[in-house]
Amino acid sequence: MTVDVQKFQGGGGWMTKAGALGVVGLGASLAGIAMDTQKALFSYLVAFSYWAGIAFASLILLMIFHAFRAKWMVVIRRPLEVMAATVVLFVLLFIPIVMGMSHLYSWVSPAADMGAEALKLLAHKKPYLNVPFFVVRTGIYFLVAIFLSHRLFGWSTRQDESGDVQLTVRQRSLGAGGLPFIALVISFAAFDWLMSLNPLWFSTIFGVYYFAGSILSTIAILIILTNKARGKDLFGDHVSVEHVHNLGKLLFAFVCFWGYIAVSQLLLIWIANLPEEIPFYVVRFRGPWVPVGIFLIFGHFFIPFGALLSRNLKRTPKRLAVVAGWLLFVHFVDLYWLVMPTLSPDAPLFHWTLVTSFFGVGGLSVAFAIWRMRGHFTLPVKDPFLAVSLRYRQP
Amino acid sequence: MSAPATSPAGDLTTDPVDPRPFIEGTQTDQTINDTLLHHVFRGAGKGWWACFAVALAMLGCLVVALTVTLVKGIGAWGNNIPVGWAFDIINFVWWIGIGHAGTLISAILLLFQQKWRTSINRFAEAMTLFAVMCALLFPLIHTGRPWFAAYWLLPYPSVQGIWPQFKSPLVWDVFAVSTYFTISLLFWFLGLIPDLAALRDSATSKVKRTIYGMLAMGWRGSGRHWAEYKWAYLLLAGLSTPLVLSVHTIVSFDFATSVMPGWHTTIFPPYFVAGAIFSGFAMVMTWMIPARQFLGLKHVVTMRHLENMNKVMLATGMMVSYGYIMEHFIAWYSGNQYEFAQFFEVRQKGPLAPIYWLMIFCNVVTPQIFWFKRMRTSLAVMWVASILINVGMWCERFVIVVISLHRDFLPASWGSYAPTWVDICLFTGTIGLFSTLFLLFLKFVPAVAVTEVKELRHETEHDAHIEASLTAGVTGGSH
Repeated sequence: MTVDVQKFQGGGGWMTKAGALGVVGLGASLAGIAMDTQKALFSYLVAFSYWAGIAFASLILLMIFHAFRAKWMVVIRRPLEVMAATVVLFVLLFIPIVMGMSHLYSWVSPAADMGAEALKLLAHKKPYLNVPFFVVRTGIYFLVAIFLSHRLFGWSTRQDESGDVQLTVRQRSLGAGGLPFIALVISFAAFDWLMSLNPLWFSTIFGVYYFAGSILSTIAILIILTNKARGKDLFGDHVSVEHVHNLGKLLFAFVCFWGYIAVSQLLLIWIANLPEEIPFYVVRFRGPWVPVGIFLIFGHFFIPFGALLSRNLKRTPKRLAVVAGWLLFVHFVDLYWLVMPTLSPDAPLFHWTLVTSFFGVGGLSVAFAIWRMRGHFTLPVKDPFLAVSLRYRQP
Repeated sequence: MSAPATSPAGDLTTDPVDPRPFIEGTQTDQTINDTLLHHVFRGAGKGWWACFAVALAMLGCLVVALTVTLVKGIGAWGNNIPVGWAFDIINFVWWIGIGHAGTLISAILLLFQQKWRTSINRFAEAMTLFAVMCALLFPLIHTGRPWFAAYWLLPYPSVQGIWPQFKSPLVWDVFAVSTYFTISLLFWFLGLIPDLAALRDSATSKVKRTIYGMLAMGWRGSGRHWAEYKWAYLLLAGLSTPLVLSVHTIVSFDFATSVMPGWHTTIFPPYFVAGAIFSGFAMVMTWMIPARQFLGLKHVVTMRHLENMNKVMLATGMMVSYGYIMEHFIAWYSGNQYEFAQFFEVRQKGPLAPIYWLMIFCNVVTPQIFWFKRMRTSLAVMWVASILINVGMWCERFVIVVISLHRDFLPASWGSYAPTWVDICLFTGTIGLFSTLFLLFLKFVPAVAVTEVKELRHETEHDAHIEASLTAGVTGGSH
């Protein structure tokens, strides 16, 4: 059987538009940082952790697929590889955070009015929470992720030419073998970038929480992409409703997983009510922050859970894409809810750079992904399991 | 621009990377029936009787220990303040965890469309039931007067207005475990019905035919029966999946909702679930290796099955290790002196430190051998490793329960703990109970889901047929 596709050379218009939006958005955000440093930096951190989380989670999902030796997903694997390959871009996009660390993280130069006990605790954490080590750690996170995504993308595209089955074996081995490392990377990245915003607070499950939301968004993007990527040389034309159904099931599973992790953290901290843990929720359960939390409970769990129970919806690409789009939005609200109360504990704060950062970082990510895609097939044309994937049917 | 890309031949039936089949040899429905039902009809061998005698002897320990516990009360155990919980809850959690593999294999792997589950699901589901029975014994007898336990554990409309403490995860445990047991029993029995009908149809005596006939509930294998059966099976799989998570999550809440150093940590729910699956697979492996040999199941429980199970153990073992890393890191990062002391002083250097280090060796180091294919395919290695993992997971619960309790906040309240002979007999006795039930299961019920194996064989044959017709009829063309 043959798959009649050429190497992808399209997407120029989208790449230019996304790139332009990214440059303008990023430029505006940098201007915002110059004008209103702290608010703009916190907004930027929300956008950065949103898009970087998706890049890291794409890599993890790809590696999970390889570790499981999943065959049905071969036809939708290439966009995932490209999304994972965007991780290198975030090295550059991390620079504003490094430059503005003293405005974001109170542990960089603790204020004397924090109290003696807090200062003592921060002194205890100093071997971990210090600027050079923070930067080195983030460098390690990126090195690991870039290495893994580069190898997997490289082997996969090389197979497009050679059809060598051994390249599949290598991808599977690296996928399984690299998972423990990437699991630690995303967990400690969550601790560093997000949890240390409240340096006295801690939660062992926090890394898993960040992962859960990010992988949910990755699957959501994959669903939207699959729906949109139809036309000349694009993989979407080869994706059947059976694949879409599986993506819908994955989305449903990770909606449940996010809910499970969120409840685990909330319930255990709420019920123990310890002074060192509960402030995280006290701030978020108070005053105008309450509606945001309630919105997340319904928007991030109950509404998509109810919608995705429908088999019919999961097998209707356009309707599934609507739920996926909704989840992409609520994940952004989730990260906003994680980050912003540190800066504005009394009420939700909206700064215009939240929009510019979202489109700035996002636009550049999308443009970069399209650029990486160009010159390659949009599906792994010589993967030994492509035929199995194309003929996949629900049992 | 390159030329149109051509995908490989597109052979659906042979895997170019791992061509090993899930059913070895040339099989027909008849040969599968014969080989998989054979062990039920043949007389019990000497080996079975020898194992059964040992299991019964251990069960005898349970009877003695239970009698002493009921006559003397739980004062016969080694529990005492500060270690108010010990062997009872350790064994409860250990057994419940072991049961999880059955539900995972039968339900979650079904939803994941993993065909290799068909040869091991019956075996693992039976294990779930027996493990949960052993587990349930402990909360029942720890009440001291188990004949009153129903009043204390179950909410019923008492005229005195006395209710269980609904805020306590121990009460949630009652709901979670009893639901889990009910669904697991239904799932196991439903899967058995077509096989019981096969036993009925091939039974050699009238008594056997009558008994198996009653159990088969009038199964005739009609199209309508199969359609209803498939729906019910999928529905129960869907119901069982959240139960796998909920049961051990609530078990973890028994500890994590408190403020005890070493207990209160938010990673506990997923980390307990991973640990449960880890130990459950290890127990399946411990029994499966000898069973496939002695019951003649090697053609359906192949090395590929065992290798996959080892991979699941490696994955869940890594998740457990992840939990340990997070716990230790946050114990330091939090700056909480009690958490730090618990993880870095008491556990690693305290009087019970050997159990902690044994846990690390068994749960963290041992599964690493499964990175190597040679180790994953060695029966001796995987059998020893599975036993070590079971030991390690028991040690983990000992570390969490006893080591945390014997060194809490106040040095003045510190104490020590040693089990009494009654504790040890109770634990040994539940292993005897489990082994007795399991040996009876192996004797009277097909250990492998015969119907599902036959279905898998038909599916494989069907795929090969389509493949042959496609290869013969289609040359080139585009998708």
